[in-house]
Amino acid sequence: MTAIGESVRRIDGLAKVTGSVEYTINMELPGMLHVKVLRSPYPHARVVAIDASRAERVRGVRAVLTRDDLARLNIDPYFGPVVRDQPVVAVDRVRYVGDTVAAVAAVDVEAAEEALEQIAVDYETLPAVFDPAEAMRPEAPRVHEGVRPADVGFADIRALNLGEGGPNVASHFILRKGDLEAGFREADEVFEDEFSVPAIQHFAMEPHAALAVAHADGRIEVWSSTQNPSVIREQLAEVFRTDLSKIRVVAPFLGGGYGGKTYPKLEPLVVAMAMKAGRPVRLILTREEVFYTVTRHAVVTRIRTGVKRDGRLVARQCELLFDTGAYADIGPRTSKNGGYAAGGPYRIPHVAFDSYCVYTNKPPAGAFRGFGVPQICWAYEQQMDVIADRLGIDPLELRLRNAVGEGDTFFTGEILHAVPVRTLLQKCAEAVDWPAPSRPASPTRRRGKGLAAMIKSTMTPTVSAATLKMEEDGSVSVLSGTVEIGQGSDTMLAQMAADVLALPLERIRVVHSDTSVTPYDQSTSSSRSTFSMGNAVRQAALEVREQLLRMAATQLEISVDDLEFRDGQVVPKGSPERALGYAEVIRRHFGMGVGSVMGRGTFTTTGHLDPQTGQGKASAFWFTSAVGCEVEVDTETGEVEILSLVGAANAGKVVNPVLAEGQVEGSLLFGIGSTAYEEMLYEGGQLVNPNLLDYRVPTMADLPRDMRSILVEDPHREGPLGAIGVGEPVVAPVAPAIANAVARAVGVRITALPITAEKILRALADAQGGRA
Amino acid sequence: MRHDIVIRVNGRAEELEVTSSETLLETLRNRLKLFGAREGCGVGVCGACTVLVDGRPVSSCTMLAAMTDGKEVLSIEGVASDGTLHPLQEEMWARGATQCGYCTPGIILAAKFVLDENPRASREEIVREMAGNICRCTGYQKIVEAILAARDRLASKGAR
Repeated sequence: MTAIGESVRRIDGLAKVTGSVEYTINMELPGMLHVKVLRSPYPHARVVAIDASRAERVRGVRAVLTRDDLARLNIDPYFGPVVRDQPVVAVDRVRYVGDTVAAVAAVDVEAAEEALEQIAVDYETLPAVFDPAEAMRPEAPRVHEGVRPADVGFADIRALNLGEGGPNVASHFILRKGDLEAGFREADEVFEDEFSVPAIQHFAMEPHAALAVAHADGRIEVWSSTQNPSVIREQLAEVFRTDLSKIRVVAPFLGGGYGGKTYPKLEPLVVAMAMKAGRPVRLILTREEVFYTVTRHAVVTRIRTGVKRDGRLVARQCELLFDTGAYADIGPRTSKNGGYAAGGPYRIPHVAFDSYCVYTNKPPAGAFRGFGVPQICWAYEQQMDVIADRLGIDPLELRLRNAVGEGDTFFTGEILHAVPVRTLLQKCAEAVDWPAPSRPASPTRRRGKGLAAMIKSTMTPTVSAATLKMEEDGSVSVLSGTVEIGQGSDTMLAQMAADVLALPLERIRVVHSDTSVTPYDQSTSSSRSTFSMGNAVRQAALEVREQLLRMAATQLEISVDDLEFRDGQVVPKGSPERALGYAEVIRRHFGMGVGSVMGRGTFTTTGHLDPQTGQGKASAFWFTSAVGCEVEVDTETGEVEILSLVGAANAGKVVNPVLAEGQVEGSLLFGIGSTAYEEMLYEGGQLVNPNLLDYRVPTMADLPRDMRSILVEDPHREGPLGAIGVGEPVVAPVAPAIANAVARAVGVRITALPITAEKILRALADAQGGRA
Repeated sequence: MRHDIVIRVNGRAEELEVTSSETLLETLRNRLKLFGAREGCGVGVCGACTVLVDGRPVSSCTMLAAMTDGKEVLSIEGVASDGTLHPLQEEMWARGATQCGYCTPGIILAAKFVLDENPRASREEIVREMAGNICRCTGYQKIVEAILAARDRLASKGAR
């Protein structure tokens, strides 16, 4: 009996279809107060004075938290996973419209809202900067003075060159390989282009929410819609100067994450407020506040590529500007990952990549499904088609000639394994019938096909640990820090344990992330849980199995080699009638029906990059994917209809086909959103569309009639049964594949997302004008 | 100002005193502790707070509770009967049409309305009617498949 590779129904499905899921927003604590946040109306201003006395007198108000409380509460007010730059509440300045100035806790939300209006803040406005290129000029206003690294930083952050690279630069990732000048001298043709991507929203349906209790004995408890409770705990320990063991962070079910709920967001504020108020508190963001809390980085990519006449890529230079907004969040790592991915899934012997993470006076940007790769893939995959056109080579053929494969060396110097880029491209090409020319539906409705591919790393180095507890009745509790954000991790981990222990899924319970209970796990992000936590759970299950084996061997007076596991029993080979159920093994072992059998698993990955050259090992494994599509463009309206859309990813080994397909399909629609609509629009630093009326995300009407997901199984030697994750890889190639299809349909290339009808019409008019 | 209202929620009469500005969503969540309807956008666009009022889908985040006096409200908690899941619930689960689950109750209720009104709704009609319910996880494909499968099951049940 194996549960791996089967489309078992997700184990949390019943709760989901009956509406009984325990999200953070449903939680209440006795005596709980409601928190509302006062936000900055200015993109950049000095906070001269704050008077909260009138707010404190509003009926129902129990506490107002301002900078004046920080010293008394013994708070070191700055947090941030890489750079400690974000204050719990404004200290000396506010740095973007929506920045946290102060907060109120009251018996109900209405009282808290009323009190916000009674807080008097005296601001002195300061010059602001909104564009990363302008922010890097010597005369630009400084968003921060200096860069203070986090105390407990992840190991890969050493490669980030924090605070170096010019004014307002939070970090500068540098990669050098080969001899760039020699490479360009060798080239027959050189292509130089610029592409850009605006800031967008994760738009998880559940807004960020957090509850906190600050106990009199110093213990802190937090329930939060977070994807990485262990990081939250470390950050709270730094801010509140206490031991990790005194802080409990619980992550209930999340209503979507996509990266937007990684790293501290509301947690430091609610804890400080719980301390000040002396009561439990809860904060649930409004949708508008979510827009001010975290975004996907806007990125400008300058890309210069040298090519031989036969299509071989020989040199590439890239400069990436990641607009990280007012606070770095995880931006330095995002820009690093985008940096070394700038060559794409291709062999290029001579490269130089510079990726800058730049502060501006806008909402902070952080992790987002694809983690830096969608922005750069938008650039390099469009340039591939430009190159193909100029050289007269088929775009698929150009990609196949240059694609990396097993044993190739990546730009970081590491050897690639399980990267079936050619297979993925060929499968997508096949699915859209690539060789068949697109026929226009009418003279004004032109059709075209497009392809794109990508390669992406996973967070490295990391640690994931799991504990497996077999109860005295033979059922199993899996204690894992992985957060169920909708991706199906509970089910995947249960399948892993069920496989090793020959148990039906119904006998396995996955205990959710609770830092007081579950062992350390770095993060539910980077599509790392199947690989890392999957391995940890299997290891823990094997330890339980090993103990059961030894116990049963003693009990049956038989060699362990003569025992096997079947249907929840330890079975002597050849004499199934002597089989013992697990509960019976445990009962005989302890002499009564009590006790538990514990297994431990810890999975670590290693890697390091040199800060000056970006050489070393960036990733424990690599995600590869491709997308193919056919579009129809209306030359009179500029509208684009996606006729077919196919996404292919390497899964290594598919653990649960339906869940894996769901990840690919979800990625495709995420891609459609950022391609067609999504863009945070600013006027003078003021976000003008922070709501669903003005910011559009894909609806069911955007589902292409022909949408397919393809899962390739090129196993990874270190993955559990060869498996890697599939949550992210298909997002990145969607936008460039569609842009390439549009270009082939109507001959115009859109270089700045989103691809709107207006941009297409303008480009068509320009092209006409050019010809006239 | 306060209003005394009586609404039938999932078949049970509830006598409530609500405020003038209170939304139906707040009444369901804060007073009745029914957490299946959830706020997603707060402006009546995303569909996560969908419930059926007298059989028709409404965004409970923008409907005032006081206006539901005397009406029949069906929330997700009332969709399964006697412990038996509705075919929509079963198919959504079996076909992987729920991921994070936040939008799922609203999707099920909106789809129930579509199929109640038009038991033979086509794929196109379903997609058009359901465009007011946003799901950010699934990519919609499996939701459409689940609704179609539930439609066929309901049709064969009705035919019997």
